[in-house]
Amino acid sequence: MPILFAGIDIGSLTAEAVIIESGEIVGSEIISVLPNPVDSAKSVLGKLLSRAGLCREQIAYTVSTGYGREKIQAEGLADENMSEISCHGFGAYHYNPDVRTVIDIGGQDAKVIKIDRDGKLLNFVMNDKCAAGTGQFLEVMSRALGVDLNQLGEISLRSRKPVPLSSRCTIYAETEVMHCLQRGVPKNDIAAGISGAIAKRVAALVKRVGIEPPIMITGGVAKNAAVRREIEKELEVNIIYPNIDPQIIGAYGAAAFAMQKAGKV
Amino acid sequence: MELISSQAPGLENDHVIRWKQSGRSIVGYTCVATPTEIIEAGGLLPYRIRALGNGNTEIADAHLSRFNCSFCRSCLQLGLDGSYDFLDGIIETNGCDHLRGMIENWVYQRRPRFFHYLKVPHLGDSASIEYFVEEIKIYKKAIEEFVGRSISDQQIWEQIGRQDRISDKIRTIYRIREGEKPSITGAETLALFLLATAMPANDAENTLQRAIDDCKDRALDGYKARLLLGGSATDEVDFVAMIERLGGLVVTDTLCYGARAFRPRLLEGKRTDPYLTLANGYLENLLCPRMIDGFRSRLSFLLDAIERAAVDGVVLVHNKFCDLHGIDNVQLRLALERESIPVLQIEKEYGARADIGRLKTRIQAFLERIG
Repeated sequence: MPILFAGIDIGSLTAEAVIIESGEIVGSEIISVLPNPVDSAKSVLGKLLSRAGLCREQIAYTVSTGYGREKIQAEGLADENMSEISCHGFGAYHYNPDVRTVIDIGGQDAKVIKIDRDGKLLNFVMNDKCAAGTGQFLEVMSRALGVDLNQLGEISLRSRKPVPLSSRCTIYAETEVMHCLQRGVPKNDIAAGISGAIAKRVAALVKRVGIEPPIMITGGVAKNAAVRREIEKELEVNIIYPNIDPQIIGAYGAAAFAMQKAGKV
Repeated sequence: MELISSQAPGLENDHVIRWKQSGRSIVGYTCVATPTEIIEAGGLLPYRIRALGNGNTEIADAHLSRFNCSFCRSCLQLGLDGSYDFLDGIIETNGCDHLRGMIENWVYQRRPRFFHYLKVPHLGDSASIEYFVEEIKIYKKAIEEFVGRSISDQQIWEQIGRQDRISDKIRTIYRIREGEKPSITGAETLALFLLATAMPANDAENTLQRAIDDCKDRALDGYKARLLLGGSATDEVDFVAMIERLGGLVVTDTLCYGARAFRPRLLEGKRTDPYLTLANGYLENLLCPRMIDGFRSRLSFLLDAIERAAVDGVVLVHNKFCDLHGIDNVQLRLALERESIPVLQIEKEYGARADIGRLKTRIQAFLERIG
C-alpha cells in the first residue's frame, strides 16, 4: 500500500492541497479561500481526496502552512505546521534541487527566500508593509484599467511603449493609471508599466538578500508572463517558471516536509 | 513563576497602592537615563512609565499624529485616560522627540503637581559630563522644592549603593538566563523588571532575590533556539511570550526595559561628589541610539551579549516611526550579517495585534532557519 503525505497551504486568496507519494505529486487542488482557514483546509483537502479516490486514513502525515496553520493543526487536520516561507523554499527545492532563490508573490505579500543545497532556509525577506509588489496590487490595477486580471500579463506583452509608473504605492499608482487613461495612453502600455512597477519592487527585495541563481518564481502572480519578463530584465537573470501550477509550490513543500518529518526520506 | 504572575499585571500594583495609602508621592519617568537615586533620596517612589502593550490610542491620537511612535501614543493614552492618575509628578527627558511630545501633551492636559525637564546630553565627553552634573543638581533642587526638604549627599550615596545592589541582582538574573540551562524565560524576565521599576527600591531588592531563589529549582526545555531580542522601547511581555511560544527562548536582550536599564556598580569608583558619580555612571552606560557617536559601543554591547549567551540568532525590533532605533537596527543588522550571525529585523506597531499573523510567520520562519 503506498505511503502518502499531504501539504495544506492557506493563502489570502486561495487554498491549496497537495498529496505526494515518494516525493512525486499524486494530486493537487486549489480553491478560493473560505472565511475560516480551518474550513478552507477541510474543503480543499476533502475535494482533493475525493477527486483522487483516497481517504484521510491513507495519509501518513500532514503539514499545514500559511494563514491559520496552527489552528488547522489544532483541529487535527495536520500533524504539524511550518511557516509558508520554509514550505515555499522546500517545495521549490523538491521541484528543482538546483534552485537557490525563490521569489514567491502571493495575494497579500511577496517573499524572497534563499535556500541551501538541501532546501534548508538560509535567509528571507518579506514585503509585509503594504500591497505594493503583491497580487493585491495587480488586482487593484486591473480593476482601474477595466481589464480581467488574467489578461493583464497578455496585454502587457503586446505593449510597444510601456509607461513607467513613478509610484510604488498601490493608491498613488492607481491614481497614476487613471491619469494615463484620461490622457488616452493605450491600455497595453499602462499594463506594461504596472508589470514594471511590480518587478522593480520585487527586484529590490531580491537584492536585499542577494541574487543567487538559479531563481524560481512561485505564487499566483508568477502566472503573469509580463511580470516574469520584467523581473528577469531587472535582475538580468533567467527565472525558472515551474511546469506545475506555481500556486501549489507551498503546499508541495509542506507535503515534502510531511514526508521528511515522518522519517521517510 | 508564581511571584511574577501574582504581582506583575496592571499599572497600579499593590506596592503603588500601599505607597499612596501611606500618604507618599510617586514620580513617573520614562527614560533609562533618569537617575532615580535622586527621586528615592527625596522620599518619593520612582515609577517607570510603561504602556504594557496597550493598543488603544483613541484619546492620544488627537494630540500625537500617526507619524509618532505608537509606544509614546500608547503611554499618552494611559496618561490622558486617567490610568496614571496615581502619579503625583513626572520627569521629562530628551530621550527622543516622540517621548517629549508625549510627556508635554500629558503634562499640559493633566497638570501633575510636580514636573521637571531633565536635559540629558547626547554625548559622553567631559564637557557633556560637566553639563550633566549641573543638570542633576538642578533636578535635585526641583525634587527638594517639591518635597519641602533638602537632600544630603549622604542620602544620595545611600541610594547609589542601593541601586548598585539592585543592579547586582539583575546581573545575577541575566547570568541565569544567559547560562547553558536557563531557568527563567525572556517574558518572565521582562515582567519581573517591569515590576521592579514600579516598586520601592527595598521591595525591588527583595523581589529580585526571591526570583533568583525561585530559579534554583527550575529547568526550561522544549525550545528550538536561543535568541537575543534587541531594539526599542519594548515592554510588551505578550510579544516576548509569543516568540517563546513559537520555540525561541529569549535568553538575553539589549532592550531599554531590559539589559540597557541597569548599570555597573558606581559606589566602588566613589568620586568626590555623588553628582559626578551619577553623571558618569548614567552617561557612560547609556547604550541608546539617541547618543551621538555611540554606535560602536552599542554594537560591541550587542556582540558581547551574543557571545556570552551563546545565542543562535538575533531579533531586532522597533516600533514604527521610531527613527532612532529604525536606523540603528539597520546598521546593526548589516553588521551582524557581516559576522554571519542570523538576524531578523522587525518593524511593528506597538501593542497592535492586527498584524500578528505576519509577525508570527516571520518569527517562525526565522526559528525554522536557525533551529
